[in-house]
Amino acid sequence: MEDFSRKYNLSDEELFSRINNDELASERITAPRYSYWKSVFRVFFRKKINVVVLVILAVLIAFAYLYPTVIGYDDQVNPYLYVNERGGQHLTPSAAIERYGFHIKWLFGAGGTGASTFDSVWNGSRISVSLAVICAAINMTIGILLGAIWGFSRKVDMIMNEVYNILGNIPGTLFTAVLVMVFSPSFWTLVFAMTIMGWLGMAYYIRTRVIIIRDHEYNLASRCLGTSIFKIALKNILPFMTSVIVLEIAAAIPGYISSEVFLSYIGLGMSEVSLGRLIYEAQNAMVTPGWGWEFWTPVAVASVITVVLYVTGQNLGDASDPRTHM
Amino acid sequence: MGRYVIKRLLHGLFSTVMVIFIVMILVYGLMDRMKIFKTDGQFTKQLNNQRVTYMHQKWEEYGYLDYLPYSDYLAMLQESGEIDEAARSALSSIGRSADGSDDSPEVAEYVAKFNDYCREEGYTVTRLDAIISKNRLATGGGQVLFAYKEKNVLSRLWKYFTGIFEIDNIHKVPEDQDIGERGLTFTLYDPVYGGEKFSPAIIGNGTIHRYLLYFDDQFPYIHQNFLNLHLGASYSVTRGVEVFNSMTQGQGSYRQFPLTYPTGLTENSADNLHTAVYVAGSREANVMYQQRYTDDYTNVQTFRNNKSRMGYSFVIGIISTLLVYILGLPIGVLMARYKEGLLDKFGTLYIMFISAVPSLAYIFIFKGIGRAMGLPWTFDMDAETRLMYVLPIVSLALPSIAGMMKWMRRYMIDQMNSDYVKFARAGGMSETEIFFKHVMKVAAIPIFQGIPGSLLFAMTGALITERVYLVPGAGGLLIDAINQYDNSVIVGVTLFYTVLSVLSLILGDVVMATVDPRISFTEKAR
Repeated sequence: MEDFSRKYNLSDEELFSRINNDELASERITAPRYSYWKSVFRVFFRKKINVVVLVILAVLIAFAYLYPTVIGYDDQVNPYLYVNERGGQHLTPSAAIERYGFHIKWLFGAGGTGASTFDSVWNGSRISVSLAVICAAINMTIGILLGAIWGFSRKVDMIMNEVYNILGNIPGTLFTAVLVMVFSPSFWTLVFAMTIMGWLGMAYYIRTRVIIIRDHEYNLASRCLGTSIFKIALKNILPFMTSVIVLEIAAAIPGYISSEVFLSYIGLGMSEVSLGRLIYEAQNAMVTPGWGWEFWTPVAVASVITVVLYVTGQNLGDASDPRTHM
Repeated sequence: MGRYVIKRLLHGLFSTVMVIFIVMILVYGLMDRMKIFKTDGQFTKQLNNQRVTYMHQKWEEYGYLDYLPYSDYLAMLQESGEIDEAARSALSSIGRSADGSDDSPEVAEYVAKFNDYCREEGYTVTRLDAIISKNRLATGGGQVLFAYKEKNVLSRLWKYFTGIFEIDNIHKVPEDQDIGERGLTFTLYDPVYGGEKFSPAIIGNGTIHRYLLYFDDQFPYIHQNFLNLHLGASYSVTRGVEVFNSMTQGQGSYRQFPLTYPTGLTENSADNLHTAVYVAGSREANVMYQQRYTDDYTNVQTFRNNKSRMGYSFVIGIISTLLVYILGLPIGVLMARYKEGLLDKFGTLYIMFISAVPSLAYIFIFKGIGRAMGLPWTFDMDAETRLMYVLPIVSLALPSIAGMMKWMRRYMIDQMNSDYVKFARAGGMSETEIFFKHVMKVAAIPIFQGIPGSLLFAMTGALITERVYLVPGAGGLLIDAINQYDNSVIVGVTLFYTVLSVLSLILGDVVMATVDPRISFTEKAR
């Protein structure tokens, strides 16, 4: 003490002051600040690959949703009915650029009727992705809500289990195919066919998860303390499920794109020219030398879109698991 | 466990009935009926009233309604003896006007009777004016009078399910047919093989099928016709053939060989005499049959050079299923064993590719690679080689291998963190020992559940693969039926698939309970 006073030339009073014992402050538990969503994004962006994937996704979405509007693509015009001038069909990119001069729309050549493959592929992507997102949104919403009720209420569980035992036996692809055949295929019929049964799997999955978490000690304690079931569902259980829900959505969206492509391929596609329809119409071009572009372009674009969506979803799902936030 | 399985079977039966009910409502109730004429060349040739009757006839054939023209009603009356032949032809010429103002009194009487009859039976009567253009009857414009009745969904369902199994017996041929003595005969020497070769057979007279039990050189070598399946007869895909038969009948060109018919006539033919079915009066009507047969069992199937639809699907399906288990399981195990290793990383990448990319896209990618490697990339029944099977099998196996790898790896890793593994490690067992002796056994149990399903569904064929490689398999049947609006085939195939899916779920659980002593379905053990 002596040393300090001499060193800084200050008195004891100036060096020390008395602090009152604050009882309130001593009750506070200090912990590092934690925000769930901030941590999710911190973990997500920690991996550099995710930034790359997100950029690709942004570019794809921009092309699918903005490009057709910017160039004024008329989606009422079916590129497979639209016949261009003679000799303009089945062009490779180089032939198309030679013929029409350089323009971004000839980057993938011209299709069987002379329409630009580039344009029709992006318009097709827009339709396919929209379909998948709408179907996923409907199925996930219904699935999560119903699944939560199903898991919480024992009465509903009894009834729904019977329903599930019956409906779960139906071969899904077949049922969708029959539905699409019965109602003439259009965008909204396809949405209907894919959602009328599609929610069931998700609901059952959520139900099982809810049942597992529902009876954990902390939830029993919470209920004993008088927390409402609604609040338990929202605050105690939902955070546990976020990551599995994100993972499910990540798998579902490419799944719907895949089903759409499949249905189109067996001749049950919608009237709109989606990616599946493009592949269906161009399938004979696959084996013809020099015509490959019009076939492989939609195949490649569909693959890239689904892979990018899948990877984003998987990594976002991993990041939204609180256990990775350490 | 018996009780549990029975409960599950009943559930499955109920599901099956519900599925068929829903599909019937969809197909017969909600679908636009005009769709069936979209690809019908005959339809556009029919004009005016003729088109109306044509439509109703077709609808009856497709199973939508019961159609009763006035002429059939008169024929019915003639059969019951109320009117004679002359009266029938006189009565059948109805007036040109639909209101009946130019009918003769007798005709008017019978038209009224027809109306009453239809009202009683629930038919709706339609009568159309003759269409006159330029003072002449227009093409197809003749006056028509007919009645139709929509089929009720419930009675349709009832009829369908009660008609699925048919037990053949000696009273199946109508009793008024004179076919000699009815009965079953057992012989040790099958007459089809000349009556000298030892081959037991049961032959019926009065039954629908001539041969009720016989042996031959085709899989499954012993055949029976006592119990027959009626899943629905095709209308447009394979005319008049049962769904089940069109899946199991041979395809391709005829396989001819010298054949001795029951009359002793020997000629080169592909007929399979074992499949003879009774057709009343057929021998009298057809000179060829008179030369060949001694009775009316004349309707036979033929030997073909190629496999049946199900045969192709089964060969491709079973080999690829085997590949999936042989390759998928070890790779999945190794991925888990050397987690984060090179194999694991590549494997995960591959799994991601298969899960994300549309199945059609990667099958085309496989096809493209196969073509580049010089493999045959389409199936040709006339010049079949073993190499043709390679690409379909590979395309079918590769995605499933990814699934198998994914699950096996996940189950293994889940098990690695469990207490018994920690205990074994503490006890001093080596990692390899723990891994292959304990973890793998437990992790493989859920895999067993899928085995019955993958075997059963090997028969049904893969929709996309078969279409991409033009394999004439069973998978295409449903798609053909959908594209051609063949309602009864759609219903039949749906039933077939649903039964298979129900069975594979139940069998999967049974298999799992058998291999894992911890799982029990009896109430007490729970």
